[in-house]
Amino acid sequence: MADETAPRPTLIPVLAAFATGGLLTLMVHFNGELGRYGTPVFASWSAHGTGTIAAALWLGLTWVATGKSPFAAADKPKAPLWAYLGGISGAITVILTSMTVNSPLALSGTLALGLAGQVGFGLVADRWGLFGMPRRKSDLRDYAALALIVAGSAVIILSAGSPA
Amino acid sequence: MINLIALAALAGVLVGVSRQVNGRLSLSTSPLVSSFWNHLVGFALLTVIGLVLGGLIPPTAAAAPWYAYVGGPLGVVFVAAGSWLIPRIGATNTALLIIGGQMISGVLLDLLSATPRPVLAGLGGVVLILAGMALTQRRR
Repeated sequence: MADETAPRPTLIPVLAAFATGGLLTLMVHFNGELGRYGTPVFASWSAHGTGTIAAALWLGLTWVATGKSPFAAADKPKAPLWAYLGGISGAITVILTSMTVNSPLALSGTLALGLAGQVGFGLVADRWGLFGMPRRKSDLRDYAALALIVAGSAVIILSAGSPA
Repeated sequence: MINLIALAALAGVLVGVSRQVNGRLSLSTSPLVSSFWNHLVGFALLTVIGLVLGGLIPPTAAAAPWYAYVGGPLGVVFVAAGSWLIPRIGATNTALLIIGGQMISGVLLDLLSATPRPVLAGLGGVVLILAGMALTQRRR
């Protein structure tokens, strides 16, 4: 059974994931600024547009610098067509959250339920290796970490709305 | 209300689906290429939705400060990072650690920008998250 439990994350990916969360705070902040000058759909649309341009520039520079197309990966198995459609899921997310944020759920409810959805999906995805990704079996320690992080996040999210 | 709760939870599930699907593409290409397609496809879909609903580009858009548009390029790094993380630490750890980082940096941002928030609750939450992070970490 031991080989079914994946090795614990090492320090680098843990810190990288944590920093990625910090990046998300900045993104939410900037996109919120953009949303003040228009609708949430406009904010997400222009963020996707400027993001596409930035990624294309970056890939183009890589292409010029290395002389090799970054899109061609002859040494790797071909991706199924559906793997190109991750952006659909992301775009629908924006529509959904712009509906729930402006409902009685407000930002705190949207964040807390979104957290539950993300973590629930993560457990299912790891258990069965959904969408062609590796399977990971969770052990007691994983669940303890999950409980602590979810509890801490819930405290932060749900207390933010209340008076100090 | 039940519908709203389901929609908010579904939004979280879709964040996970997106990360998983982009992660798969990244295995065959690279995190940056995967992030590029994610943004292009999302942009195309939102363009269609915006054109159908109308008012895609609001008249006030030009008044937005330039730095408000920095969120898009940051998003490229964010999506690429997710694709890099999933095969390394799994979907659950990726979600948990990104959320943890978002929460703690959010509390810091509130403190720095003097946004009123209950300090003790914020601090308690940060301690719980850090303890959880330490647990996910490999023992030496």
